[in-house]
Amino acid sequence: MTEKDHSSTEDPALVKAAQRGDMTAFEELVARHRDKVFARAFSMVRNEEEAVDLSQEAWVKGWQRLPQFLGESSFGTWITRIIINLCLDHLRKQKRQRVESIEAMDEESGGVERQMPVVTPNPTANLERQELRKRIDQALGQLSYEHRTVLVLHEFEEMEYKEIAKTMGCSIGTVMSRLFYARRKMAALLASFRRQDLT
Amino acid sequence: MIDNELHLKLQAHLDGELSPAEARQVEERLASDPQARALFAELAAMASVLAEFETEVCLPESREFFWSKVEREIRRESSRPQVAPRPPFWAGWRRWLVPAGAVATVALSALLATRPGLLPAVQADIADPGAFTYRDFAARTTLVWLSYPAENEFADNDPADTMD
Repeated sequence: MTEKDHSSTEDPALVKAAQRGDMTAFEELVARHRDKVFARAFSMVRNEEEAVDLSQEAWVKGWQRLPQFLGESSFGTWITRIIINLCLDHLRKQKRQRVESIEAMDEESGGVERQMPVVTPNPTANLERQELRKRIDQALGQLSYEHRTVLVLHEFEEMEYKEIAKTMGCSIGTVMSRLFYARRKMAALLASFRRQDLT
Repeated sequence: MIDNELHLKLQAHLDGELSPAEARQVEERLASDPQARALFAELAAMASVLAEFETEVCLPESREFFWSKVEREIRRESSRPQVAPRPPFWAGWRRWLVPAGAVATVALSALLATRPGLLPAVQADIADPGAFTYRDFAARTTLVWLSYPAENEFADNDPADTMD
């Protein structure tokens, strides 16, 4: 069989070809979007191995659901929604299986974020890009999955409150509280990393 | 002291989620309240830092290897025989619906024999033992009762598959 070269074909044409059963077109779509899909999974589950497995699952689901894709959003957005939903299911299952930490329970009960002192000056000022990225990554890892997911969906996926609430199956008020807590906690964590540098 | 409602309004203002009237109120508060301004600045700093610095991670597997796994799984899934959905809980009742229908027919026939012409007529169709016909001559009404489900009632329908 001759390998088709799809490298110069646009996504919508690849999607149409894949919908007709052309797996080489689908392979090209996987190659184009696999890093984004993996990055989203990793930002949510914080574990490389699990993120790879979930990415693979998302692509298999993507192929199976391809006939349902009508092109109302870009293919990249569509496949990202699939990975987000898979990660949320995975994290919910994990949460049910583990004993909640006292800190996570504090977060859920609310109120902690309102007592945190405001961080001034900006704890990320004058940091090298690489260093800042590392610290943000570290701080994200210390949030509960609910707070991290709200941040990821809002800041990285640029979703509105309403859309986040629908995706996560909670109220808009919960989204607002979680986002507020997550931002304040991130500021506090980044400030604590800075204090550690100074001592 | 800033209350919780203002906390969330400051944030919603930052995220462009307030109505113009609410946004004006928050602006006024920011102009007069240094504590609110400090909190707003902290939230804004976090929002911009996060938006700009998404961790750049790449899938730690080659294109060929990752695709080979995806392709294998797609083929495995498509070759797997479809599991028939579990029939609804009342499907078992069908076992005794037909005999019960027959008994009811006999009972009604006996009743008709004693009161011919006065009571409605009920008969079982010999060609289809699951079908019963009810005729009320006085009311000029005919009803056909089928004791079995419609043809596509058990069609494949996976309610779990609802995403997108």
